Amino acid sequence: MSDEKIIEIRNLTRVYGDGVEIRALDGVDIDIEPGEFLAIVGPSGSGKSTLLHQIGILDTPTSGTILLKGVDITKMSDRERSKTRNRELGFIFQYHHLLPDFNALENVMMPLLIKGVKRSEAKKIALDLLEEVGLSDRIHHRTTQLSGGENQRVAIARALVNNPSIVIGDEPTGNLDSKKSDSIYELLRRLNREHNQTFILVTHDEQMAAKTDRVIRIVDGKVVEDSRDGVPVREI
Amino acid sequence: MFELDIAMKHIRSRHRQTLFSIIAVGLSVAIIVVSMSMLSGYTSILIDSTVEKQAHITVLPKENEDYIHLYHGLEKHVYDMEGVEAVSPYFQGEAALQHRHDVEGVVLYGINPEDENRVVNRERDMFAGEFTSLANPGSRIVLGYKLAKNLDVGMGDTVTAQIPESGPTDFTITGIFRTGTPADETTAFANLERIQDFYGAGGVVTGMGVRISDVYTAETLANGIEIETGYDAISWIEQNADILNLLETSESMVYFFYVIIFAISGFGIANILIMIVMEKVGEIGMLMAMGAPRRSILLIFLLEAGILGMAGVMIGAVLGYVSCLLIASYTIPVPPEMYFGMDHLPIVINAENFVTAGVFAMVINIIAGMFPARRASKMNPVEAIQSV
Ligand SMILES: Nc1ncnc2c1ncn2[C@@H]1O[C@H](COP(=O)(O)OP(=O)(O)O)[C@@H](O)[C@H]1O
Ligand SMILES: [Mg+2]
Repeated sequence: MSDEKIIEIRNLTRVYGDGVEIRALDGVDIDIEPGEFLAIVGPSGSGKSTLLHQIGILDTPTSGTILLKGVDITKMSDRERSKTRNRELGFIFQYHHLLPDFNALENVMMPLLIKGVKRSEAKKIALDLLEEVGLSDRIHHRTTQLSGGENQRVAIARALVNNPSIVIGDEPTGNLDSKKSDSIYELLRRLNREHNQTFILVTHDEQMAAKTDRVIRIVDGKVVEDSRDGVPVREI
Repeated sequence: MFELDIAMKHIRSRHRQTLFSIIAVGLSVAIIVVSMSMLSGYTSILIDSTVEKQAHITVLPKENEDYIHLYHGLEKHVYDMEGVEAVSPYFQGEAALQHRHDVEGVVLYGINPEDENRVVNRERDMFAGEFTSLANPGSRIVLGYKLAKNLDVGMGDTVTAQIPESGPTDFTITGIFRTGTPADETTAFANLERIQDFYGAGGVVTGMGVRISDVYTAETLANGIEIETGYDAISWIEQNADILNLLETSESMVYFFYVIIFAISGFGIANILIMIVMEKVGEIGMLMAMGAPRRSILLIFLLEAGILGMAGVMIGAVLGYVSCLLIASYTIPVPPEMYFGMDHLPIVINAENFVTAGVFAMVINIIAGMFPARRASKMNPVEAIQSV
């Protein structure tokens, strides 16, 4: 059974602070299957970003385990964490986080160069992805020369360029107007279908969440709802 | 090497500030190269003139003895030692030289001019006449140019030498030398046998000058002579210990200033890197999210320190070299005898000084870059990403 899951989160807890304890995540259990397109929703401060940082191996939990393709990422060395982030994970944040000194193409190539892919090879792959996100005519532009939506498209191309098995987005449209948000959502959805990668998106936009395959609702660090098309995945 | 790409971009996108830190490093390297070259110049002039103008080793009588007796045997023994090129026995005494109403106290040396020339090239310092004229055992004398002036004598004139032990003796001037040192005012040379006779000390000398092939082995060779012969032997190094110590002290003092100068330029590098790191917190976080390991982050900023330092060192080396050439070509308006007979500032341009200054600067710049680079590499990726 477990080899169907790409992510198995067990009793994940993240406590902040030494004096006043904040239980940002409090005994979270989630299983995610390959190719799922899911939304994590919940009020501000409920622990959504904290959960994404745990899945993205950017932070270490206080207790609990996360198996990524059967490997416990919470026990990895610093070097293995970097490598896994580079090979298995793609990140999209609310702000595009593009490197301002590099143009769109160079930004998209960066994860490949970090991986050690040859420059000519990296360029080919990056150009393909920039085409997929509809920016073939903007490849030599820098972030300052691109609109918010375009920058976010570049960031999406960069997140996908290493062909990660999981793409995580922390309010990827949080900084855009609703029209642009919709088109970014459509893009992510299309990429999810074409590449069959797992997409985990944090959003506070309930309408967008409703359009995903599965919604996980978090309140006060606990999963209070986990449903596919309105049908509970399991009883909470 | 994406690390190098990023390092270069960081530097290029801040070319104005980075230019200043490069210039700071360049100036410090240039100053230090010039100062090292001048110090090398003075040192080599001092050592060259010292080893040219005196015997490399002087053999003196045994303790509590005034003379070296049977000196021919000792002369041969020392001459046969490895590394010895020439030996010149001499008899040194004090005398008063008189010409008309002028009297000057002098140190009078009796020497064999051929032997002496081989130990210290006296012929080269001759202003008038020939040093080898003293090969003749007659009453001939060669004296310093200032001494001749003070006595108001010239070539062919006669001076009267007086010592308590013997009656006045006339010597004919057959040569005048000029070295540019105080010896010009106090020294006179005559034939060895004539002087031995004059002082009533036939068959003995008061010392022997020795020339050796490698001046830096003087100390060891002098020790060898003392051990083998029992006579006292003093090397030029021992004889000039005060000057050489002073030279060494000033050299280490100067190094202290070098460290300060480099530290200042190092602060410039550290400063710009701290600025870049602070500005790039979000970028560093994103690089970590993309899978750049911590050591790559460290490398990016160390590379920046290295590139800035390298550019500074190159500019500094060129600037230093040009400055050295300019200083070396400058003729100083001072009387030659004040500066060891030089009319140029002594500058020795050797690669070693450039390499030392360059390596020194690079090491300090990398150390300066280490602090901001480590700070960047130790960032928490979540905090770094959220800082934007
Ligand atoms: N580095 C931190 N130190 C202390 N508390 C934190 C830190 N990061 C998050 N928190 C706290 O954890 C809780 C969850 O935060 P977060 O996961 O960012 O919420 P969300 O993304 O759902 O808005 C909040 O109460 C927040 O204040
Ligand atoms: Mg959040």
